[in-house]
Amino acid sequence: MLRTALVMAMVWLGAAAAGGAHAAAAAGREASDGQWTMPSKDYAATRYSELKDITPQNAHSLHPVWTFSTGVLGGHEGQPLVVGGTMYVVTPWPNVLYAFDLTREDYPLRWKYRPDISANAIGVACCDTVNRGAFYVDGRIVYNLLDGHTVAVDARTGRELWRVRIADLGSGETVTMAPIVVRDRVIVGASGGEFGIYGWLKGLDLNTGQVVWTAHNMGPDADMLIRPGTFKAPYDSGADLGAHSWAGDSWRTGGAPVWGSISYDPELDLLYYGTGNAAPYDPEQRLGDNKWSASVLARRPGDGTLVWAYQFTPHDNWDYDATGAMILADLTIAGHPVKALVHFDKNGFAYTLDRTNGRLLVAAAFAPVTWARAVDLQSGRPLLDAAKATGSSRGNVKGICPSAEGGVSPSSPPAYSPRTHLFYSSTNNLCMDYEAWRASHLAGTPFMGVNTPYSAGPGTGLGSFIAWDAASGRKVWENPERYPNWSGALATAGDVVFYGTLDGWFKSVDARSGKVLSKFKVGSGVVGNPITYRAPDGRQYVAVYAGIGGDWALLAGDTRSDDPTDVRAPADYIKDIARHTSQGGIIWIFGL
Amino acid sequence: MRHHDIFGHSARLAPAALAALVLLGCARPGSPQAGAAAPPPPGVSYVDHLAAGGILPPGLVLRNPHAGDAGVAKGGALLFKSMNCDGCHGGDASGWVGPNLGDGRWRYGGADAEVFSSIYYGRPKGMPAFGGALGADGVWTLVTYLRTLPLPPDLPTESWEDK
Repeated sequence: MLRTALVMAMVWLGAAAAGGAHAAAAAGREASDGQWTMPSKDYAATRYSELKDITPQNAHSLHPVWTFSTGVLGGHEGQPLVVGGTMYVVTPWPNVLYAFDLTREDYPLRWKYRPDISANAIGVACCDTVNRGAFYVDGRIVYNLLDGHTVAVDARTGRELWRVRIADLGSGETVTMAPIVVRDRVIVGASGGEFGIYGWLKGLDLNTGQVVWTAHNMGPDADMLIRPGTFKAPYDSGADLGAHSWAGDSWRTGGAPVWGSISYDPELDLLYYGTGNAAPYDPEQRLGDNKWSASVLARRPGDGTLVWAYQFTPHDNWDYDATGAMILADLTIAGHPVKALVHFDKNGFAYTLDRTNGRLLVAAAFAPVTWARAVDLQSGRPLLDAAKATGSSRGNVKGICPSAEGGVSPSSPPAYSPRTHLFYSSTNNLCMDYEAWRASHLAGTPFMGVNTPYSAGPGTGLGSFIAWDAASGRKVWENPERYPNWSGALATAGDVVFYGTLDGWFKSVDARSGKVLSKFKVGSGVVGNPITYRAPDGRQYVAVYAGIGGDWALLAGDTRSDDPTDVRAPADYIKDIARHTSQGGIIWIFGL
Repeated sequence: MRHHDIFGHSARLAPAALAALVLLGCARPGSPQAGAAAPPPPGVSYVDHLAAGGILPPGLVLRNPHAGDAGVAKGGALLFKSMNCDGCHGGDASGWVGPNLGDGRWRYGGADAEVFSSIYYGRPKGMPAFGGALGADGVWTLVTYLRTLPLPPDLPTESWEDK
C-alpha cells in the first residue's frame, strides 16, 4: 500500500509539471463531441472520452436504463458506435448490423441489416465467431464479415453500398478485426495464425471497396511493400528480412495475421498495427527470427508503404501475438517530450516506443513472465530463459508465463487518460505447459501442432485490472479479479474508468485509485469494450456488451447451453466459470 | 390431374417440402382421398415416416471394414493428428472450435456410416470434406479411432453443490 501511494504521488507530480504539453497532445483525438464514431474512440486508440458528468462522487448511482438481446450467442467483443442520434451494433457471426434510434423512448430500431454470410466461416475461425466492431465515416458504416468480406452500409437507410471479398476462407482466412478508415482508404486484415496463412494488410477504396494495395507482413521486400529508401527498422538492416529470417520458404505459411485494432497518427501519416503469432506452433519448422510476426508495423495508409517495424517476440515460441492495441500518446520520459506508442503485449511486457522511428524506450513486465528475464533497451531484444524454449524436439516444456491467452488478451484493448497519464488494462494471470510436434500444412485446416494446458499464475486471482505508468514502466494500482479479465477499458474526463469481468460484473472505478464505485451483474461474461456518449437527451451514458466467448478455452467450462451434441468437461484451470455465467449477447446502457 | 402436376415438380424438392405437399394433398376438405391413405404418385417412393435431420436411405448403409480393429484405431489416432483434426476438435477429440467427438453425442448422427459421411463429405459450419485427401479407407480408419474414445460416465448434469 505504501509503495503504491508513493508511486501515485510521483505520478501526480509529473502530471502537474507536464500538464500544459499534454493538453495539446494525444495525436489524432477528435474534438470532444460526445459521439463514439471509431472503434477505439479516436485514431490514437485512447478509448478516452472528454465527457465528465459521471464522477467518482456520483458513480455509485449508475444503473441500467436500457437493454437489448442481440439474439446471437457468440463472444461479444468490440463495441457499439454512437453517431448523432443513432447507436450502431455489429453482432458476432452472422454479423447483423443494428441501428437504434436514441432520439425516441425505448430506442427502437431504425433498421437492421443482415448480410449474406457463409456458415463455413464458423469452423474456420480459430477462436469463436467474434467481430471487433465497425467504423463510421461520411454517412457510411464500414465493417468486416467473418467469412472474409468487407461491407459498407448507408448509415441512414441501412442499404448495402458495397460488399467486397477481401479474404479466402479456403486457405484459413477469416476476418474479425474492426477496419480503420483514413481519408479514402479502408484498412483491413485477416485472422488465421492457426491456419498458416500468409498474413497481410489491405487498403481498399472507400467508395467502391476495391482492393488498392496488399501488403504482406513477411516475405520478400516486394510483397511487404518495402520500397527503395522507405524502410528503416530501428534494430535491423538488410534486404528481404521478411524472407531471410525464416528457414527455407516457411514464411509462405508463417501466419502473422492481423486481428487487433489499428491506430493512426495524422501528423506523421503513419498507420500502426500489430501482427499475430508465427505459424506453426512448432518453432523448429520455421527457424530464424520470423520477421515480421509478433511485431508492430508502421505503414503509409495511401499506398501501404512500410516505414518501420519492431519485433516484440523474435522467433515466437509461445503463441505471443502482438495484435493488441497500439496506443498513441505524447508522454514525458525522463524530462523529455516523446511521441510515444504504448503496447501491452501477450508476452507479458508493456512497451513504450518512439512512434516516429520504432525505437524502444521502456519495456517492463505487467504480468508474471518466465520466458524472458527482461527486454534489452540497447538491442531491443528479449533476454531469453533458454529453459523455456519450445519445439518438437524439446518435449513438454513446463511453467511458461504468460499462457497463450497472453498477459492480456489482444482483444481487450486498454485505455489512456491524458488527465492521469495512466494506461488502464485487463490482465490474465495464467501460465502454461507447451508441448509441440511437427504439423503438416493442409490449406484450410489448422496448422498448429501443440498442446498448451493452462494453470493459475502466482498471486491472487486469475486476472486483474491495472493502471500503468508507461513513462516509467510501473504498475500504479491493481484490482485482482477472480477470473482472467477479458474486457476492454474505458477512461473518461470524469476520472472514472470502466471495465467488465468474465463472470459478468460491469464495474466503474476511480481512475486514480482503482476503488470500485459501482458494479452490476450484466447477465453474461464481459469480453466487449465499454464506450460512453452524450445522448440526444443531453445526458452521459455508458454502453457495453455482455456475452462471454472469444476463445474456446472460455467455453470449455460448459458456458454454452445451445448445443446438446457438444458437451465438454470444464477446463481444469477455471472449473467453475459456468456456475457464474453462460453465453448470450446483450447490449447494456447505464446512466446516472 | 392437378395432383400429378404438383408431384411432377416435387421430384426436385427437398424431402421436407415433399412431405408437406403430401400432407396438404391428403387433408384437403372434400378431396376424394380425404381420410384415406393416398396411393403414392408415380415416380415417388412413399415412406410412412420422414425423420428430421437426415437419415441415409435404406440400401445405402455403409459398413466399416475395420470395425473393432485396434491396430487400425491406433493408425487413426495418428491420422487424427497429422490431418490436423486435433487443431479443430482438440487433443483426444475433446472439443475446441469443432465439437467434442468423445461425448457420445453427434450433431449429424453417430452411426459408423453417418460419421463416415461427416468426414468424407464435410458438414456445414466449416467441417471440410476430407474424402478427396483421405480416400474411403482413410476415413474408415478415422472412424475406427473415434469409436475407441472412452465415453464419460454421465454428462447431462453438472453440479456445483456438495463438492
